[in-house]
Amino acid sequence: MKDERGRTRVVRTRNEFEGEVMEQLALVQDEDAEAWPEGAQLGIVGRAHRRVEGAAKVTGRARYTHDVRLPGMLHARILRSPHPRARVRHVDPSRALALPGVRAVLHRFNTPKTAFRGEETIFREEVRFVGDEVAAVAADTEETADAALDLIVVDYEVLPHVVDLEEAIDDAAPRIDEKGNVHDADRHERGDVKKAFASADVVVEGTYRTSTQLHNCLETHGAVAAWDGDQLTVYESTQHVFGVRQGLHAALHLPLGKIRVLCDHMGGGFGSKGGIGKYTVIAALFARELGAPVRCVLDRREENVAAGNRSATLQRVKIAGKDGRITAIAHDSWSNVGQARWVADPTGPTKGLYDVPSILAHAHRVVTNTGSLAAFRAPGYVEGTFALESAIDELADGMGVDPLALRRHHAEGAIDPVSKMRYSLKRLVDCYDIGAAEIGWSRRKRGGLRGSAPGLRRGLGMASQLWSGGGTPPAYATVHLNPDGTAVVRIGTQDIGTGTRTVLAQVCAEELGIDVRDVRVEIGDTDSTYAPISAGSLTVASITPAVRLAAKDAREQLLDVAAGVLEVGRSELRVEGGALVSRGGRTPIAKVFEDLDNYTVIGRGSRSPNPDDLVLKTFGAHFAEVEVDRTTGAVLVERVVAVHDVGRIVNPLTARSQVEGGVIQALGFALSEERVVDKPTGRVLTRSLETYKVPTVRDVPRIVVRFVDVPDTAANNVGAKGLGEPPIIPAAAAVANAVANALGVRIRHLPLTRRRVLDALAAAS
Amino acid sequence: MKPFAYVRATSVAEAARLLGAGSAAMAGGTDLLGLMKGGIAAPARVVDLTGIDGLRGWSRERGAGLRIGALTPLVDLETSDQLARHLPIVRAALADTATLQLRNAGTVGGNLLQRNRCWYFRDEAIPCWLKGGTRCFASEGENEHHAVIGTARGCNRVAPSDLAPALIAHDARVTLVGARGTRSIALADLYTDPALHSRDEHTIKRGEILTEVHVPEAGLQRRGTYLKAMERKTWSFAVVSVAAAARVRDGKLRNPRIVLGGVAPVPWRVEAAEAEIDGHPFSDELARRAADALLADAAPLAKNGYKVPLAKELVRRALAAIAAA
Amino acid sequence: MPTVRPLGPGAVDVEVDVNGMRAPLHVPPHRTLLDALRDDLGLQGAKKVCDEGTCGACTVLVDGRPVYACMTLAVTCAGRSVETVEGLARDGELHPVQEAFVAHDAFQCGFCTPGQIMSVVALLRANATPTADDVMRAVSGNLCRCGAYPNIVEAALAAARKATK
Repeated sequence: MKDERGRTRVVRTRNEFEGEVMEQLALVQDEDAEAWPEGAQLGIVGRAHRRVEGAAKVTGRARYTHDVRLPGMLHARILRSPHPRARVRHVDPSRALALPGVRAVLHRFNTPKTAFRGEETIFREEVRFVGDEVAAVAADTEETADAALDLIVVDYEVLPHVVDLEEAIDDAAPRIDEKGNVHDADRHERGDVKKAFASADVVVEGTYRTSTQLHNCLETHGAVAAWDGDQLTVYESTQHVFGVRQGLHAALHLPLGKIRVLCDHMGGGFGSKGGIGKYTVIAALFARELGAPVRCVLDRREENVAAGNRSATLQRVKIAGKDGRITAIAHDSWSNVGQARWVADPTGPTKGLYDVPSILAHAHRVVTNTGSLAAFRAPGYVEGTFALESAIDELADGMGVDPLALRRHHAEGAIDPVSKMRYSLKRLVDCYDIGAAEIGWSRRKRGGLRGSAPGLRRGLGMASQLWSGGGTPPAYATVHLNPDGTAVVRIGTQDIGTGTRTVLAQVCAEELGIDVRDVRVEIGDTDSTYAPISAGSLTVASITPAVRLAAKDAREQLLDVAAGVLEVGRSELRVEGGALVSRGGRTPIAKVFEDLDNYTVIGRGSRSPNPDDLVLKTFGAHFAEVEVDRTTGAVLVERVVAVHDVGRIVNPLTARSQVEGGVIQALGFALSEERVVDKPTGRVLTRSLETYKVPTVRDVPRIVVRFVDVPDTAANNVGAKGLGEPPIIPAAAAVANAVANALGVRIRHLPLTRRRVLDALAAAS
Repeated sequence: MKPFAYVRATSVAEAARLLGAGSAAMAGGTDLLGLMKGGIAAPARVVDLTGIDGLRGWSRERGAGLRIGALTPLVDLETSDQLARHLPIVRAALADTATLQLRNAGTVGGNLLQRNRCWYFRDEAIPCWLKGGTRCFASEGENEHHAVIGTARGCNRVAPSDLAPALIAHDARVTLVGARGTRSIALADLYTDPALHSRDEHTIKRGEILTEVHVPEAGLQRRGTYLKAMERKTWSFAVVSVAAAARVRDGKLRNPRIVLGGVAPVPWRVEAAEAEIDGHPFSDELARRAADALLADAAPLAKNGYKVPLAKELVRRALAAIAAA
Repeated sequence: MPTVRPLGPGAVDVEVDVNGMRAPLHVPPHRTLLDALRDDLGLQGAKKVCDEGTCGACTVLVDGRPVYACMTLAVTCAGRSVETVEGLARDGELHPVQEAFVAHDAFQCGFCTPGQIMSVVALLRANATPTADDVMRAVSGNLCRCGAYPNIVEAALAAARKATK
């Protein structure tokens, strides 16, 4: 065993990130540890632990990018296009530069080429949405920079535009991309859809729409850049410090060793903070030119036009049933991606969630003159699950069967219908059993139940969840064991609010045999070891196994030292509660090192490859009970039961929070959140948190959280999978199904505002 | 926000004198600062009224009605059990007004004089009619939150205040003090209709200060209630709101008032609708007739037709509630 | 009649009591209390999220009442008391509300937390035995995008129970 330690090898491994399956090479440095088996007696992992950074956050001491203030720091603000589409012919910054306190202006005619996400420059010649970056000002104060924006004179040649998804699809729309507005994306076919539809007992067809959802992370996107000679340090509110480093490397042609990216605490990302922004490049360019640190932070309005969104979708689902089973699904989707070069495929759940023999799924990417999509917590799957699960309920109604019973026929398969490989673990049916019992599914009646007052109707609905979450290499960690028995975990991950620091401390403490309080976790620094992006529900499954191995390595070295110092056979020793325990008694770690002053044990670990022959997925089911007021259109979600199968739960306290948060974000998507864009001007009308309605504390129903909590021992050595995205996936669909059950009328357009409910009821009567 | 000079007035007369062209009066600041930050207002001078004594609190004089000082923080009205006994509609109306933080800072006068929330009006780059432009962008645009009645197609904004319909339902009057004297007008007349081609939302004149709300004795005799439909459970301006009040004797609704918020550029009242129910006991049929009369001239835009049935249902519920109380 | 002299638009001297200590400020009239706290006094617990009175992340107490610091001019706070999250912990001991927020996991990213805590602190001073509904009314103006709401309500009720025990 020991001589194996430190051997580096290259492995090919498969992983899945936000619906995309990828093969990649990864460097692996260790032999993996045996996974903690089901029923393992663990003292720390699996138990509720308060967040280790709790005190910093409740006292206001936690430092976020917004809070970074460096001596001599300047402030940058960005001039954004007032037109949805225009050519920038000329920029005259002279009046802005004449304003006292203004230090510099950057625009397309004076900025060096800076590669940015597949484009050559950060200031486009053709600006393509209201809010597109046109120029930037650096000044002594943010206020001066802001005032200077009004003084920059830009000559625009205004071009025809289109902002609406369905208008953009229409042939009559201006063609805003040389290859057309509609682009083919993913296509999947299995079985014989045509034949299945022809021979079906029941065929149901529906068109579903979802609205653009804005992330509205409370901490807006932003960065502070500072140069020390040729060494660049960037503080950024990001889900991926290494991704920001890579982006700066590409944009500024700097060696990686000259770039350091830091993110101590960050105020929410939800997928939108996956790499550098133009503000990062702007801050770095200004800072280099002006020889002073530069802060460039978006305000709320900018955040809601230029910092990403969940695409609005148009989806057509046709579904066939025969002999009480689903025989075929055809699912076409069109997503408004703004100017993005990718699409979050909404057909993922249709392809993989249920074992249905015939599938035809076809996703399209539609470009428009609006802000581009950015990954938003289970991108594609939230939108797609709504359409798929609505259609399945409509089919169940058409067939006269219980919708949960119908799903059960297709939920048991042990083989992934897309890859044809076996799942490492699948407990979807358990989720159904737990959820159905908890919500009282047997009360559900076709046509709904009577409400608590005249005019009110009550309904039950459910939907299933499929997502990846198996994690991936590469990820590396070190554990430094100090001579007093305290330890420091170092890994270049980031805590986006999920509680990453805490689960890492738990895993380290468990493996090393010390108390959680004696572990400090240092993250958010590219001068540390590489860790993947905190997105795609891959954090826990990617990095806790590496930290466990690093802690194990440290423990084994400790045993070596202790065996020598205590003159006890190594195999007779174990570490427990911060002490070396043998038949002879307990010796605190500090005692072992007493005569070995300032000795540091350095353990290192890396993430091992995923199994070659298994598919790693997470599953779940949400059940919702609603009451709908037919006369006022008000939808009251009373209760959501959320059941998830995500392997081992490392920290039940933070896991529950994660699920509640996902459900609440989904309720916003289902009931009130909707970006509204004025078609003629291309302006986002919902730039504020008054007009863009995220849920308040009063919008929250009773949320019951349950976990199957069986470790996925084939997945990784901790047995845990990701939980960030699963809880946002099925809740909106479950609510929509409950509303349809209550009303006897199906509303195929989210969010379910009073307007949509009342208009649908009026149309139905 | 553009820089400005700041002056804290210590009397109404002083404030009136200081409020020249380019000046803005500020009490809680919760609306004014939003307009200034949004680039909709840029006064050179802000006159802070909060240093004026005698405009805070409320008093009830037997036979003389109820007086509420314009600088009274909304939260003080909301939390007063005594006031809730005299005029319960105020608590009902304020329960879902903005947020606690805004009700702590915001005042009665400021609430009545706040500007509308139309997202075209609030977008500094949109040259809408109300801001001196030539047309309403909402009439052919994104108008799900806009007016269904009383617009004369000039401006499709809706009156945003919760307090205004509630107080109008009790015949409230307001006192306006200016350099040229003091006048008292019906609160309903504080609001101006786009049909009058005025690009103001309020009839208060430059240099005037709203000092007091007065609810006459007759208004206090009415039993009132306030219902508000929102797009989330709280912290939302009204999609539609209804203030209804009447004297209830022998189960009959007498001298009723029905005032709608969120449906018209001004708090919306139609006397013919009130006449439908005056002197009659409540019934769903009667309520329907009143609601139909109230909204008889409704001409919804492309996306706000749902407000009409919603308003009618809230009218029915509000009348039922006061009849049953 | 004596006329008051307008202040500004340049910087003026204002003295505010912040967390029980005199805080002299030299700020223009348009400087908000939030900017004054964060940039002039270095108290960065209150966060700038919307800067237009819609989210609650900058909630502080002025004369004991929770208000949005972004919608309050610093100059209007002359002679008044301002309490921020930094003033709650005493001698290294967390305030009971802070302690309850940690124990009940009442935050995720933590960006709304200082504002939530100030709203709850003000509530518990006015109402020692609040109901869940009271708590929800008190924090209705504090948005949390991570969705820690159920735990925020739990934490506030737990802090109240502990204080009245």
